[in-house]
Amino acid sequence: MAAADQDFYRVLGVPRTASQDEIQRAYRKLARESHPDVNKDPAAEERFKAISEAYGVLSDPDTRRRYDAFGPDFRQVPEDVDPETWRRARAGAGAGARAGSGAGAGGGRGGVGPDIDVDDLLGGLFGGRGGAGSRGRRTGPGWGAVPGADQEAEVELTVEDAYHGTRRTLTLTSASGTRSMEVTIPAGVTDGQRIRLAGQGGRGSDGAPPGDLYLIVRIARHRGYRLEGRDLYVELRLSPWEAALGTSVAVTTPAGEVKLTVPAGTSSGRRLRLRGRGLPNPRGQPGDLFAEARIMVPATPTEAERELFERLAAVSEFDPRRRR
Amino acid sequence: MSYALVRARRLDLDQFAAAAGLHPELIRRFVALGILDAERDPGGRLWFRPAQLAAVARIQRLRAGFALNYAAIGLVTDLLDQIAALQATVRTAGRRER
Repeated sequence: MAAADQDFYRVLGVPRTASQDEIQRAYRKLARESHPDVNKDPAAEERFKAISEAYGVLSDPDTRRRYDAFGPDFRQVPEDVDPETWRRARAGAGAGARAGSGAGAGGGRGGVGPDIDVDDLLGGLFGGRGGAGSRGRRTGPGWGAVPGADQEAEVELTVEDAYHGTRRTLTLTSASGTRSMEVTIPAGVTDGQRIRLAGQGGRGSDGAPPGDLYLIVRIARHRGYRLEGRDLYVELRLSPWEAALGTSVAVTTPAGEVKLTVPAGTSSGRRLRLRGRGLPNPRGQPGDLFAEARIMVPATPTEAERELFERLAAVSEFDPRRRR
Repeated sequence: MSYALVRARRLDLDQFAAAAGLHPELIRRFVALGILDAERDPGGRLWFRPAQLAAVARIQRLRAGFALNYAAIGLVTDLLDQIAALQATVRTAGRRER
């Protein structure tokens, strides 16, 4: 058991002195957060099992007392063992067992309680006891096999990954431990899309089938591109004379550079569409690529530029604020 | 691309109960309480889609995890379904505004 070496109090986040009330409150709160049907994170399943196991032990005053006395192995300690005797027997088991037993036998029972042979005790610890009784109650309240819950995990992709498709190695922490799997992400996934990995979700109990794992695709922000569905938007920076006279510009797309013809008389905000150059669509029309014109002027024009702009200003009758 | 037309597989009460590992009467009660969807044919027999097995598993887990009664489970599963639908909307639509 993965949870066996964990401290049950720490799992529930309560001090060892916590009242039964506090233990119940802590458990209810944690259970609400990490129940596999509420929290889709694959790691939540393991957390839920751990807190359930901790609560199963600490909620019952009797098993809690035994857990406090004997520690995580308390299930292996026979029911009728007195904690004091146990502690003493454990301490003496290494060196002074012989001497101690001699003195004890001579003086009768003394305050020691029931007469216990150290060998019997250790035999119980390593022998076949324990198991049977404690294992059965962990399965659930009288039900047979229950299939596992569906889980969700996010994968972040770059725009280029979404365009070309990619392979990812996922590392998931779940109740069955940490596992890695190689996932092929097809070309043309969109932001927010879910990829179903059948049978990779939460484990079912008693051999029931597991749930599915859904990968939610997140496409990371990109310096050059803005994405709307499958349409890609790129900024197209133009000088005033390029915008006025028209030009040909190289635009970077996920598939490589594309020559774009900017018609004369292009103002800021005009969108030039490259049909089908957006993200591919495995089931239909690919998205488009839109180059959005943005006219830039030199922040500090040279003397010559300044002169030419002044002449243009004197000659031109163009008024961008006049409604046509 | 072409897809074959497949008649949806459905299970009767006994088949479904056996697949879920539960007593048919308990399944019938889930349906009566409105926490499990089933179709009723003209003869009054209940029919289930195999996907409903996951719904039954969720009912069992919620009951075991929170000690909920079946009325409360109905509320919780409805809310969880609504949240899932909202999250799906946010996931696809909300991202567009960036």
